[in-house]
Amino acid sequence: MARITRTTKRGLVLLSALTVTGLALAGCSGGAGSAEESGDTLKLWHYESADSAMGKAWNEAIKVFEEETGATVEFEEKSFEQIQKTASQVLDTDAAPDLMEFNKGNATAGFLASTGLITDISDAVDEYGWADKLAPSLQTTAKYSEDGVMGGDAWYGIPNYGEFVGVYYNQDAFEAAGLEIPTTYDEFVSVLDAFVAQGITPLAEAGAEYPLGQLWYQLALSNGDRQFVNDYQLYENPVDWQGDTLTTATTTLKEYVDKGYIASDVSSIKAEDAGVAFINGTAPIFVSGSWWYGRFVNEATGFDWTMTAFPGADLSLGSSGNLWVVPENAANKELAYQFIDITMRPEIQAIIGNNGGVPVAADPADITDEKSAELISTFNGILDQDGLSFYPDWPAPGFYDVIVQELQGLVTGVQDVKTTNANLGEQYDEGTAEFR
Amino acid sequence: MSVATRSGRVKLPPEQPSIPQRKGGTGAYWMYLLPGFALLIVIVIVPLIWNVYLTFTKWKGVRTPEFIGLENWQKLLTDDDFWTSFTNSVWMVIAMVVVPTIVGLIVAALLFDVVGRKFGGKVGSFLRATYYLPQILPVAIAGIVVGWIVRPGADGALNQILGFFGIPPVDWLGQMPSALIVLMVVLIWVQLGYPIVVFMAALQRVDPELYEAAELDGANWFQRFSAITMSIIRPEIFVVTLTCTIAALKVFGPVYVITRGGPAGATLVPAYYAYTEFFTKRNVGYGATIATVLTIVVVIVSIVFIRVQNSIELKERAGL
Repeated sequence: MARITRTTKRGLVLLSALTVTGLALAGCSGGAGSAEESGDTLKLWHYESADSAMGKAWNEAIKVFEEETGATVEFEEKSFEQIQKTASQVLDTDAAPDLMEFNKGNATAGFLASTGLITDISDAVDEYGWADKLAPSLQTTAKYSEDGVMGGDAWYGIPNYGEFVGVYYNQDAFEAAGLEIPTTYDEFVSVLDAFVAQGITPLAEAGAEYPLGQLWYQLALSNGDRQFVNDYQLYENPVDWQGDTLTTATTTLKEYVDKGYIASDVSSIKAEDAGVAFINGTAPIFVSGSWWYGRFVNEATGFDWTMTAFPGADLSLGSSGNLWVVPENAANKELAYQFIDITMRPEIQAIIGNNGGVPVAADPADITDEKSAELISTFNGILDQDGLSFYPDWPAPGFYDVIVQELQGLVTGVQDVKTTNANLGEQYDEGTAEFR
Repeated sequence: MSVATRSGRVKLPPEQPSIPQRKGGTGAYWMYLLPGFALLIVIVIVPLIWNVYLTFTKWKGVRTPEFIGLENWQKLLTDDDFWTSFTNSVWMVIAMVVVPTIVGLIVAALLFDVVGRKFGGKVGSFLRATYYLPQILPVAIAGIVVGWIVRPGADGALNQILGFFGIPPVDWLGQMPSALIVLMVVLIWVQLGYPIVVFMAALQRVDPELYEAAELDGANWFQRFSAITMSIIRPEIFVVTLTCTIAALKVFGPVYVITRGGPAGATLVPAYYAYTEFFTKRNVGYGATIATVLTIVVVIVSIVFIRVQNSIELKERAGL
């Protein structure tokens, strides 16, 4: 009995030691967190690479911020996926940062807004006058309703840059083929036919990731109008998935594959491969976003190229860029607002503009790079005609994967147009039900 | 003496424990198990109960779950993607259990019985390590390498080799059944080393005189393999089959890295499906339901395996 008691005691000591060690470890991390949350530290998360336009601009903003406020920026580099998939859990804790970059849209920033995880910053917007610097169509993705639907009344984020999807053309390839850069949709199709006739697959595309879905939505936008966008993105009316707009888009996309405008193996190609196909001159046309622009400036140097909005379309995919959001649990909200304000200054905006990005509040005179000026001019043209129409996967959480899967089914011949649209519609309706 | 039970099984007197028992009870030993139990409760039991509870809720991962009764379970019954994912699990079992176990048995026996004897133990050990190498390769790296090999178009490594023989490029990951075949080949490649290493370790228990005696009696390699090798390493075969089956049912990494369940959901598996419901659609309740079904299937398979193994061992010990 005495032996058992001694063993029991030993066991209890061991257990206690384990418990104390665990608590100590927890205490250490908690202690570290407490230190970080002091008033002179801004805990900042974003996922832009250091050599991107935004990365360069924000690095400069950090320097300015630290000089002007005397506060320290504690920057943690995150990945897009990391923030996208785990932010909601982190924001619900004391480990939340003071300021964070987050993807815009109903299923993302809207979701956080509706759950109360990010702060309604409307008062700060008024105080700092940020609304005056943002075009109305850029404001849509920064403002959300109670249910997390964009275009609402309350501000939940501030974008520093814009983005849109257009068409990149390899001008040398056009010249060699005796073709002109198209200005209408009919000319665009004629060019595609001409390249195919010469044995060239004209469109760089990727069905395993976002480019094919974006082309599909652009084809819908070319047939649709602003009301279609409002129905699809803002749930004003039910979307008719077997109606003319979406049936034409899906049918046309299938024809693009059947006619050889797109490679037959598009379903397994990734966005990177499509971009590289344009960079190395394999494909003369690439329908994709302005986020490629800076890279093409640096890497597509073997030929002249240009970018325009999708020919013949009044509406283009695009929106503000990602948002600065302030978590509800942030320890230093005021510092976060000061940092946002610095990123909106013309000198910081000019860094975005001169490095291949699309600033939202830059002084045109500050944009010294000719190629960047061309991009910003195209973007401003879309803004002027209220053409930004967001992205196809925004309306419902997880709809990105649904679009990829369904369009893979379409282009591989597993399912026809009607079935594809029916499947998309079913998932769309299910995913948007709670927002309506 | 053995006694036949109602179920036809054979009951034997318990074997003598190899470790001498101390008089005075075993209460003290339980103390050493407490940390393990504590971890089991915190890491397995509580999350399991929480997971099962979530199957009856609608939850986005934050704030309070909303109780919805059996809705998730009802949805599961009519969800084509769910059934596709479990159908694909059969292919994963073939790729991670059936083929590696059979091939692993043959390769292990060859390395031990033929290569080891003719070329020495070092050659056998070197080849064993070679087969095991893919096991230590991170799945993300394996996925990237495979992605390069089966890359579509004429510049993919495999397509270039095919092109050398005049065969047109194949879109390996963009269509069925090639996407599933590529995934299965990768799984076989990665998995093969595990049974080989286990079986070769088990073969160390085989008395070489048994092989020599069989050889003198005129038994060929296959007869020696089936009568001696298979019989002696049967416990290891069970262990490998069970662990590989569990791994096959919950396979995630290779699917995530190589196909992401595509094309058009053709390579979807339950673990990846649950992941997409958890993290991309934020249907945590539904994702938990898929995960719960997966857990139930794994538990049932494990119980069946262990019972069958016990039954066979009992019969063997009874000399039946």
